Amino acid sequence: MSATLTAPAAAPTRRQRLVSAEILKVTSTKMWLAMLAGVVVYIGIGVVASIFAGAQPGVSVPTLETEPGMRNLFAQAGGAYVFAIVLGALGMTQELRHQTLTSTFLAEPRRNKVMVAKMAAYGVIGAIYGAVGVVFGYALAFALLPLKDHADVPTDALWQIAGGAILGCALFAVVGVALGTLIRNQIAAILGILVWVLLIEQLVVVFLPAFGKWLPGGALFGVLQTTGFNGTEYLPVWAASLVLIAYAVVFGIVAALTTQRRDVT
Amino acid sequence: MTQTFTGGTTAGTVAGAPIEVTNLTKHFGGVHAVQDLSFTVEPGRVTGFLGPNGAGKTTTLRCLLGLVEPTSGSATIGGKRYHDLHAPMRVVGSALEATGFHPGRTATNHLRILARSGGLDQARIPAVLESVGLAEAAGRAVGGFSLGMRQRLQLAAALLGDPGVLVLDEPANGLDPEGIAWLRSFLRYLAGQGRTVIVSSHVLSEVEQTVDDVVIIANGRLVRACPLTELTTGRAHVVVRTPSTDQLVAALAAAAPASTVQRTDEELLVEGLESADVGRIAFGAGIELHELRPGADDLEQVFLALTSAPTDGAPS
Repeated sequence: MSATLTAPAAAPTRRQRLVSAEILKVTSTKMWLAMLAGVVVYIGIGVVASIFAGAQPGVSVPTLETEPGMRNLFAQAGGAYVFAIVLGALGMTQELRHQTLTSTFLAEPRRNKVMVAKMAAYGVIGAIYGAVGVVFGYALAFALLPLKDHADVPTDALWQIAGGAILGCALFAVVGVALGTLIRNQIAAILGILVWVLLIEQLVVVFLPAFGKWLPGGALFGVLQTTGFNGTEYLPVWAASLVLIAYAVVFGIVAALTTQRRDVT
Repeated sequence: MTQTFTGGTTAGTVAGAPIEVTNLTKHFGGVHAVQDLSFTVEPGRVTGFLGPNGAGKTTTLRCLLGLVEPTSGSATIGGKRYHDLHAPMRVVGSALEATGFHPGRTATNHLRILARSGGLDQARIPAVLESVGLAEAAGRAVGGFSLGMRQRLQLAAALLGDPGVLVLDEPANGLDPEGIAWLRSFLRYLAGQGRTVIVSSHVLSEVEQTVDDVVIIANGRLVRACPLTELTTGRAHVVVRTPSTDQLVAALAAAAPASTVQRTDEELLVEGLESADVGRIAFGAGIELHELRPGADDLEQVFLALTSAPTDGAPS
């Protein structure tokens, strides 16, 4: 009808429609904003602690007077990954909990396309979380740094860490969607992810770095150029990035395959 | 009462497509939810899909809609499986039980998500909400909706693609009497346009004024598939109460030998005669009557008899 007024816009492709539907699912409820508030608080605590925490007796952590210490400080701005993976898991388990998955698969019965669109949408939202975390974390760090003695700001690393944080958050959100598909029970999925990410994986990465650097959290330490106790180095950025991408791809494929034929009742 | 339903749906005729269920079988673990079920649903008619709770109605509909993978057999719409429909929501609109809403999402946003995923025109959303009586609630979060409002929103979602086939699972649940009357005329209107409408229910009386055909299943097997009128044929009876039972039985036997009379505690059930005939015969014989009425619960009794029959045998 309006063809005479405006040039007909190209019809969106199926993939564009499905991704935009998934993004609208997120933005039409308030959870993503609450989680974003969590990002700010979590990163705020991380940055403040990195700047003001005193040296622990018997533990050698790089201090702000060293370059590794400065990189560790700015790596705190990558903390949004915890919320990205939880948001991804919530996105999937909510569809099961509120039984909206039926509508989702009625609108698009090609389930693998739905799953790919969901993971792509959460990848985008995860990247936004990562970017918000970086902007806030860096701003807070620059605001507080003048209060302490510190080494020069590692300008090149700053950009790399920011890119790593955004990539890492995007991939963690994808893994979250996949885990939500596999675990299905919302509470079990969220608790399991939090216990793993914040406790088990941290312990393994910190105390068994030779093994832990290959875990998703350890790979993220590599992407964020973190230096551990006693100068422990994790994977180089490129290798760590590949490891993270591999995790997202493998989890994503397993999740899409298991969803393909499962009865929705 | 005149109502217009054109808002949200195409006026005029709409091409419906037949639903064909062929030898459908679904086992969940050891549970045989649906067993070798076959039936056809025709366009332009409202078909009641009936059976007690747990009979396999929802499983059958979920197989039809590609949500549940049949163990064997098939269920198609216009000859195609749901998966193979190019834009399924334009062909089939469905409202299933145990389909939910995110409580924090508004009715409009729920439909916008469906429109985006299904490739439908978002401009239809206000009209569709209007047609189910939810225009006022469009911007409210679904968490605050009553069960009846949720049912209406389900129906709005089903109508969003202006489909030729409607699959509605227990749509009357949670509706108040006014809502049920509204749903009845709405479904008649939609079928009158040529659409295929299948409505499941576990209560025949809920749909008997709406449906043209019935498909009755029990324990996952077909019991009966026929026009509603055939379900009642030959089963009409007249209920009579009289203090002179023996005299009336004798008078009926004398005046109408073809009729049959069944005695219960206080009533006579007369088959083969109209109420007026029974009244005239009683009057002629000078017999006092306390009650004389057509058997109103007839259909429900037929339904109960059909669905509570022993199920280990083959379906009739």
